[in-house]
Amino acid sequence: MVELRGVRHRYDGRLVLNLDHFAVPTGALLAVVGHNGSGKSTLLRLLALLEAPTEGAVLWDGAPVPRHPPSALRRRVTLVEQRPILLRGSVRDNLGFGLRLRGIGRTTVNRQVEAVADQFGLTPLLERRRHELSDGEVQRVAVARAIAVRPDVLLLDEPASSADRAAAGALYRALAAERAARPFAVCIASHQLEDAYRWADDIRALAEGRLSPVTPENLFRVELPPGSGETKHARVGAIDIAVATDRTGPVVLAVPPTDIFVSREPLPSSARNVLTGRVTRVATHRPGGGVVAVTADVGVELVAIVTAEAARELALAPDAPVVFSFKASAVRVF
Amino acid sequence: MDFLAEGLRRGLALLLSGDPEVFGIALLTLKVAVVATIVACGIGLPLGYLLATRRFWGRRAALTAVNTALAFPTVVVGLLVFGLLSRRGPLGGLGWLYTWQAIVVGDVLLALPIAAALSAAAVQGVDPRVRRTAETLGAGRWLTAWTVAREARFALAAVITAAFGQVVAEIGAAMMLGGNIRGSTRTLTTAVALYTSQGDFGLALALGVMLIAIALVVNVALQVLQGKGGG
Repeated sequence: MVELRGVRHRYDGRLVLNLDHFAVPTGALLAVVGHNGSGKSTLLRLLALLEAPTEGAVLWDGAPVPRHPPSALRRRVTLVEQRPILLRGSVRDNLGFGLRLRGIGRTTVNRQVEAVADQFGLTPLLERRRHELSDGEVQRVAVARAIAVRPDVLLLDEPASSADRAAAGALYRALAAERAARPFAVCIASHQLEDAYRWADDIRALAEGRLSPVTPENLFRVELPPGSGETKHARVGAIDIAVATDRTGPVVLAVPPTDIFVSREPLPSSARNVLTGRVTRVATHRPGGGVVAVTADVGVELVAIVTAEAARELALAPDAPVVFSFKASAVRVF
Repeated sequence: MDFLAEGLRRGLALLLSGDPEVFGIALLTLKVAVVATIVACGIGLPLGYLLATRRFWGRRAALTAVNTALAFPTVVVGLLVFGLLSRRGPLGGLGWLYTWQAIVVGDVLLALPIAAALSAAAVQGVDPRVRRTAETLGAGRWLTAWTVAREARFALAAVITAAFGQVVAEIGAAMMLGGNIRGSTRTLTTAVALYTSQGDFGLALALGVMLIAIALVVNVALQVLQGKGGG
């Protein structure tokens, strides 16, 4: 639906975003993870058509977006900033802002405002003004205000940063309910990996303005079999991964790359997961950091982080045989 | 001190008697000030918004020019407009020299930098997220500007007050361009200067009090309007 091609974006000559291709497909639920300053917010502002890239193109449904996009196009995408601001007036005024400027009549605006307020638990706050709200409430109003205009693409920058866990959960559930009623694409930028695992279908990592070739962690969406045993086996591609959990049903598994032991041959150990395969890629994870990301095909593609010294000693290079071992208890379940 | 007290007494008596000449001068002053403020703010506020929000080549130079124009002496502006409106000047055909319109032109040039520079500062003071929020919720250029202006309403009201204050109290341009003609272009400031030089302190004081009263009424009116806007 919306995509960036060959985008190089600069602020005062400093390159802050460098993406060959980035797309938010129709109806996707996408998370962009990365540390503060990795370029997430800039990426969202470009996708929201609030800024034009210094170089490269933004495409909507395959067509290039002009430097000054027409209102009709801009109204298809809405961004909720990391620390959103409420406009002058009450919560009701804010929720209706986008609807009113679309020329929707007062009665319909009121009906839609009340519906979205109900969905996000904002009904008791409707007549309050911004200085009477907590940061978490402001964030909830801002998300509801963005949903109210029914965008085709909703961009959320750290949507749960001011909310406690319960409030964040409620926010995501309301979002899921809205998507169930009316499919639209959502792109969430977050530094909280847990949020990304829990709520997104697809995760991209951003580091220093570039899409990171290494996923931050190895993620698998699986179905855990029923049963109360301590260790369960989840089918992932051609292999089984042993997981220490009492969860069942659909979950996301994350294998932390730093918890994977890398060796040339299977080693006797307590690790329940011992996977053999071949190295497909060796990349310096953080320049100058002395850390190497080793990607291997062990039935599925997994990434392990080792020191540069260990990589040298094990002579890890593309196509070299390798064994990845990790404990069932190291696998995180979301 | 006696002559001051006597002057004040005479002044108050004149005000209370509803002297038509005094009220004529006050009305003309109000007309010139209101028209000049509307024109100056009508051009200056959008100009200030553009200077604060748009990135274009020469923006910094334009801001410096506007800020420098804040310090323009009124007599210099009067001189410039005099040159433009005089019979041999490029706008001489309008026949505006020594009319109230000429005073308005001079006052607009004096108030315009105030309106532009201070409104640019007021808009720059608005959180940039306000503009982005309005835009991302679908506001076009005008509605975005209106949303930002609503957030900066107190500062913008102060800009209008400052512009009005400049034109209502200005004397240099009014004297040079209006000519202080009785019943035609005599404003409160030029009349105060004239009657003071003639030794008529009572009348001069009465007109001075009236000038202050006009400024007070306009300020109170603006404050009431702001209050109605709510928070």
